[in-house]
Amino acid sequence: MSCDGELTVKVDNISFSYGAKKSLCPRTLKGITIDAKKGQLIGIMGPNGCGKTTFMRCINKVLKPQEGAIYIDGKDLDRLKMMEVAKICANIPADVPDDFHLSVEEFVALGRYPFVTGIWWEGEKDEQLVRDAMKAYHVTHLKDRKLGELSSGEKARVLLAKGAVQQPKILLADEPSAHLDLKYKLQVMQALKDLSRQGVTVITASHDINLIAKYADLVIVISDGGIISYGPPAEVINEEIIRAVYGVEVTIIRDGGELYVIPLRPADPEKGDDENTRPCEKGIVAD
Amino acid sequence: MGSTKASRAKIKLALILGLGSISIVLLFILSLTTGVMDISFQEAMSGLWNLIQNGGEHENTKELVLWQLRIPRALGVIAVGIGLSVAGAVMQALIRNPLVDPYITGVSSGAALGVTTAVLAGVTIAGLGVFVTPVIAFVGAVMAFLFTMLLAEAAGGRSISYVLGGVIVGIALQSGTTILMYFNADRLHSVLYWLFGSFSTLNWQSTWIIVVCVSVLSFIMLLYAKEFNVILLGDEQARQLGMNVKPFKTGMFILVSALAAVCVAFTGIIGFVGLIVPHLVRMVIGGDHRLLLPASMVVGANILLVADIVCKTVIAPSELPIGAVISIIGAPFFGYLMIRMGKEYVM
Repeated sequence: MSCDGELTVKVDNISFSYGAKKSLCPRTLKGITIDAKKGQLIGIMGPNGCGKTTFMRCINKVLKPQEGAIYIDGKDLDRLKMMEVAKICANIPADVPDDFHLSVEEFVALGRYPFVTGIWWEGEKDEQLVRDAMKAYHVTHLKDRKLGELSSGEKARVLLAKGAVQQPKILLADEPSAHLDLKYKLQVMQALKDLSRQGVTVITASHDINLIAKYADLVIVISDGGIISYGPPAEVINEEIIRAVYGVEVTIIRDGGELYVIPLRPADPEKGDDENTRPCEKGIVAD
Repeated sequence: MGSTKASRAKIKLALILGLGSISIVLLFILSLTTGVMDISFQEAMSGLWNLIQNGGEHENTKELVLWQLRIPRALGVIAVGIGLSVAGAVMQALIRNPLVDPYITGVSSGAALGVTTAVLAGVTIAGLGVFVTPVIAFVGAVMAFLFTMLLAEAAGGRSISYVLGGVIVGIALQSGTTILMYFNADRLHSVLYWLFGSFSTLNWQSTWIIVVCVSVLSFIMLLYAKEFNVILLGDEQARQLGMNVKPFKTGMFILVSALAAVCVAFTGIIGFVGLIVPHLVRMVIGGDHRLLLPASMVVGANILLVADIVCKTVIAPSELPIGAVISIIGAPFFGYLMIRMGKEYVM
């Protein structure tokens, strides 16, 4: 393997286009290269439609980049079966299926699916891990509740428990705190931080720059499918880059190691909102 | 570790299967006592015992009626109840929509058009004899499903594509049936008889075919109960958990349409069972398919046995069409379910 032991995600110059006629469509991702190490929490920033979700879907093999290569845990993603990917890489979806009367415990147990060897039932070890994860994310008291009966905050914790029970080396979380109130936003980000401190490489996309600034070890700024900037939050996040990427004037307050981004106004109100929407993506529904 | 999730689930499962089976046996015997000829509970029991001991050799007329008519019919009812319920639960998981039933993919319309064409055109196929109608119903059902699948896959293969595809194929085939019936108004009786659904034509031959097909197909689906739980997360999430979603879904769609088609082929269209039974079971024991599928089997068999007994007794010595009876009971019940569960089942 060309990667050293610490490296869990190596993305080597990948490009990706949606649409059947790839050559005619603008590329959603253009020459993305990153190295993510064990235990790092990586925050992806960028405006709507910039390619954040596409990038994350490439890492867990839901999409296949047309160019470049991705290595996870030192292995070429192209050569791994989905079941092998699932044992390394977990994903926290945006929502739970709440029409089917699954209980919290049954749902969390689904995270063990890649590891269950029996035809029907999870083994003793799987069940123990499910109990541990429910305890760690404070959902044990909800274990017999149906998913449809949970509040948004409870759903977020249940989703984290399902991700954690998969014991991944890489955890992907696309907008994990999108619909949550301030307290749960912080709880979710802290949970991701804790997982990263336990050695999981966490990659999360978020529109909340302050949360990224507070919790991420490294920030990747994506705009129009390419990486604009990559590094620790204090180096990457500044007034110029936010104006350039989001078209928003901000003021940034630095207090010791922490930084706080306060939005002021759109940088150029004359500009339309549509400039980031690419024609090829319009017809494609992401999920 | 006395009370792990699996061990609690296993106890629940044993309880459901145990109680459900006892009730199936009782209803089975009760079913043997209903019909044109008066056969008492005791006569049914002793007749059944004699027949089992003598390997089907009957000693009197009552045993002949039991052996030739009532036993195959009751067994067929049980098998169709199991088949439709399993098909319903599996379809709902595959399409990820709790409001679909096995017929949503156009299966019933395909079978109906097949049967209408065959009966009205007087089709005979050498070697098939009396099985012409069921064979054509089966072929029609599976063909209709394949159309739906092609349409749905061409439109992106999402859950909603299957629902819409099924509706489109269903409507198109139904109008075909309507036109055929319109121009053959004088020969409609046998078509209508089939369309209304009835168990009265079941004999040992057809019952065996249903029992074997339903057993094999349901068993295969039971083996994949765990996978049906994963598929509820959606195709992308299921893939991310390592499932080979596309071949799994395609394979299961074909098997489940075959299962529904077998149930339809001999007995006609019996709606609502596949829709209501999995719902009812989910309300009581939850959505884990390792419990849902076996529980739906026993509940489906019980409900259809009761419905068949009702059909045979309400206007005896005549019979009500079972498809209509189930729908009469099913429609208000489903309305009640929708209102009660409205908040949870927001689509």
